[in-house]
Amino acid sequence: MALLFELEDVNFEYERIPALRGLSLQIADGESIAVLGANGSGKSTMLRLLDALCFPTQGSVTFGGRPLTAELFHQDGFALSFRRRVALVFQNPDVQLFNPTVFDEVAFGPLQLQWQKHEIVSRVSATLELMKISHLRERSPYRLSGGEKKRVALASVIVLEPEVLLLDEPTSGLDPRSQSQIIDLIQDWKGSSKTVITATNQLEIVEDIASRIVVLEEGRVAANGKPEEILSNQQLLLNANLVHAHRHSHGTYEHSHPHMHSHSKHEH
Amino acid sequence: MKRSGFIASTTVGFTRALSHALMSEEIARQRGLLQALDARVRVIGLFALVVAVTLSRRLAVVLALFVGAAILAVLSKVSLGTLAKRVWLVVLAFTGVIALPAMFVTPGDPIATFAGGLHITTQGLMTAALLIARVETAVTFTTVLILCTPWAHVLKALHSFRLPREVTTMLAMTHRYVFLLVETASQMFESRHSRTVGRLPRAEQRRMVARSAGVLLSKSIDLGNDVYLAMQARGFRGEVRILSDFSMKPRDYAGLLAFLCAGTLAIWMGR
Amino acid sequence: MHIPDGYLSPSTCATLYAGAIAGWYAALKQVRQVLLSRVVPMISVFAAFAFVVMMFNLPLPGGTTGHAIGVTISAIVLGPSGAILAISIALAIQALFFGDGGITTLGANCFNMAIVGSLVAYGSYRLISAGAGISSKRRIVAAAIAGYLAANASAFVAAIEFGVQPLWFHDAAGTPLYAPYPFHVALPAMMIGHLTFAGLAEALISAGLVAYLQVADPRLLQSTSGMAMSTEERAGAYLAASSPRRLWLGVALLMLLTPLGVLAIGKAWSEWSPAEFAAAGSRAQVAAAATMPTATSPAGMQRLTTLWTAPFPAYAPTFVRSATFGYLLSAMFGVGFLLALSLLAQRYLERRRTTRYFP
Repeated sequence: MALLFELEDVNFEYERIPALRGLSLQIADGESIAVLGANGSGKSTMLRLLDALCFPTQGSVTFGGRPLTAELFHQDGFALSFRRRVALVFQNPDVQLFNPTVFDEVAFGPLQLQWQKHEIVSRVSATLELMKISHLRERSPYRLSGGEKKRVALASVIVLEPEVLLLDEPTSGLDPRSQSQIIDLIQDWKGSSKTVITATNQLEIVEDIASRIVVLEEGRVAANGKPEEILSNQQLLLNANLVHAHRHSHGTYEHSHPHMHSHSKHEH
Repeated sequence: MKRSGFIASTTVGFTRALSHALMSEEIARQRGLLQALDARVRVIGLFALVVAVTLSRRLAVVLALFVGAAILAVLSKVSLGTLAKRVWLVVLAFTGVIALPAMFVTPGDPIATFAGGLHITTQGLMTAALLIARVETAVTFTTVLILCTPWAHVLKALHSFRLPREVTTMLAMTHRYVFLLVETASQMFESRHSRTVGRLPRAEQRRMVARSAGVLLSKSIDLGNDVYLAMQARGFRGEVRILSDFSMKPRDYAGLLAFLCAGTLAIWMGR
Repeated sequence: MHIPDGYLSPSTCATLYAGAIAGWYAALKQVRQVLLSRVVPMISVFAAFAFVVMMFNLPLPGGTTGHAIGVTISAIVLGPSGAILAISIALAIQALFFGDGGITTLGANCFNMAIVGSLVAYGSYRLISAGAGISSKRRIVAAAIAGYLAANASAFVAAIEFGVQPLWFHDAAGTPLYAPYPFHVALPAMMIGHLTFAGLAEALISAGLVAYLQVADPRLLQSTSGMAMSTEERAGAYLAASSPRRLWLGVALLMLLTPLGVLAIGKAWSEWSPAEFAAAGSRAQVAAAATMPTATSPAGMQRLTTLWTAPFPAYAPTFVRSATFGYLLSAMFGVGFLLALSLLAQRYLERRRTTRYFP
């Protein structure tokens, strides 16, 4: 598979606090990757770098062989094409819902890319249908539930039919039904030719949505491999603060060992 | 002073704001007179009538406009009860208090005298009546416009009248984020309210407000930064683009004509 | 105070709209010079924040409560142009969407609170905090004073707008058609409320927020600190740290010209004619209500006051030519003059220092 993204020794500072230190990673075209890491490990920052919303203080981020730099994005041609091909869904949906109605929100991207009006209207309608939110068309964003907001946020990026999807904790804070809807979507993309990179710290869903796992710890890659390998490596997960160990009980029997946070899943 | 009274009163303000917006969405969906007209016609028409209210110098004309506003409201599915509760009584309380002394203070021909040399003059009565009538009528028109028109349409109408794009965008964004901030602020306050046992010393109250305001400010700024990134991520390059969808039908022209005639008549009769 | 429709005459509204549009135009132009696209979400968020602040019922010393505006902190973080836009937008939404303040009077409200407020807040903050470090206590004090002055300046301008109404806009019988209280009632009525409650509320919020930002995110205080910023700091700032002097000069000019403007409008729009004031009785009564005659006044002041009132036609009622009215206009002229002086002084002082800004 062709190399799509390459991060080489990337350093990124946010207000002089290092968020990424010497991160190196390669992502191939069409892969589905889950980026695991505790809060503060640098997942969101990495996604933003991949989406060229910020640029590394050191090192390089390459997309299809071209290093992504601020100067490159001054050119309308490249910038607009990149923005259509690579989509980022933010963790906080309110950040992505800044238009007066759901329809306007989903139409924002196509408008910026200067599509024809009738095409915008038909594509937006189709996307709303696909995400099953047509009934929310004229609603204002502040009236939506968490799950609805997430779906609108997703709709607002997939209307552009991107090739790369960067998802920042897409299931956090959602009720179980909304979560499963999102997971279904990601699984659809996993089977297609799209490249999907999902940042999450929910270990339960990782096997469903990815064929490769990257574990971040303090701004660099701590592990990189197949789900079976990573998920069975308890020590690694413990170090990366993805599981915890505390005393708990099964009926009358009490013990302690590293386990994931959703206590229901582990068996003995 | 009630226990943590200022928290309660601030929270009330927040809830009012939210409920106003929700009601507006409800009414805007109904099939009434105003809802049937193009948004631009509504905006021009109602603004013209507010201007007429300001230009009229006769109380009779202002009162006639008030009646017109009430009729327009009813025909557009806005109940008079709602208007009375949310608009008329509030204005009466506020402007009424301001206008009351004018009855006594305005020089002119006295028509009633009280102990202590206080008297009410015709001019005083007239000026108080005029002020209250004007404010009530104008606010009724504006309220009816907003209750019947989704905010997005008001903005797009203004945009079609050549309001600078950035300003339209800022109005839209601010409106949207007001609700988010109001919700955040009211959650902060509610949690404080429930945790406060007994009265807080004033200085502590002030510190609390300052800290809440600070946290709100931080969140606002982070939001602002992130929204900019989100806009860029979807192709925003600095030029605001707005999709608008207005087209005039015959009834819209009729409506526009009606509004302008009513306004002109009122101005002429009230000169 | 958000002035509702009906309190100000159409000509007053039109004049103030003109003033507001001038302010908006200047602010928009200055903001466009920086990166407008970047600043659009930030101004929106500040407008929303100011909106919420205006709803806070602040507990004040003495057991009372008051409302702040949020114009001072906006000016301190965004600079005067950003603040003008942010507060205007908040006011527009309050007027349009919530009916808080009129739409014919939106120009007036924006002029009073957004424009005069921002400029007074920014100017006094810069003056008082000049040279102080970002974390210095002086900045907190500067913010408090700036907030107090801004709130009162807004109230003062509004009071003048109110006071003028019964003077010029009344019918033949002497009934005031809009705001009914003459200067000597309107001024104290407005000012007392602001010198105590509203002024303190704005001072409190501004000082509190500056103190908070000094700890939480001092970068936000950088662009208006008057200090040198590195290129990357400037790139990250919300507004270029360029001098707002032109805007200040504009205000000074406005204040200097206002008495003349007021006169010109009075002449052009005056609704009275000689015949309407034929009834000597009512004329005397109106005059009595509007004047506070003073026995003596300094000769120079006298000359200045007659300068304003002389241009009025001979048949104009006596109260327009009164000493009080003249004093007020002289005061405005005086303030404008002082403003212009301080600006020129600032410019002179700054020229003497070495260049602080990187190209």
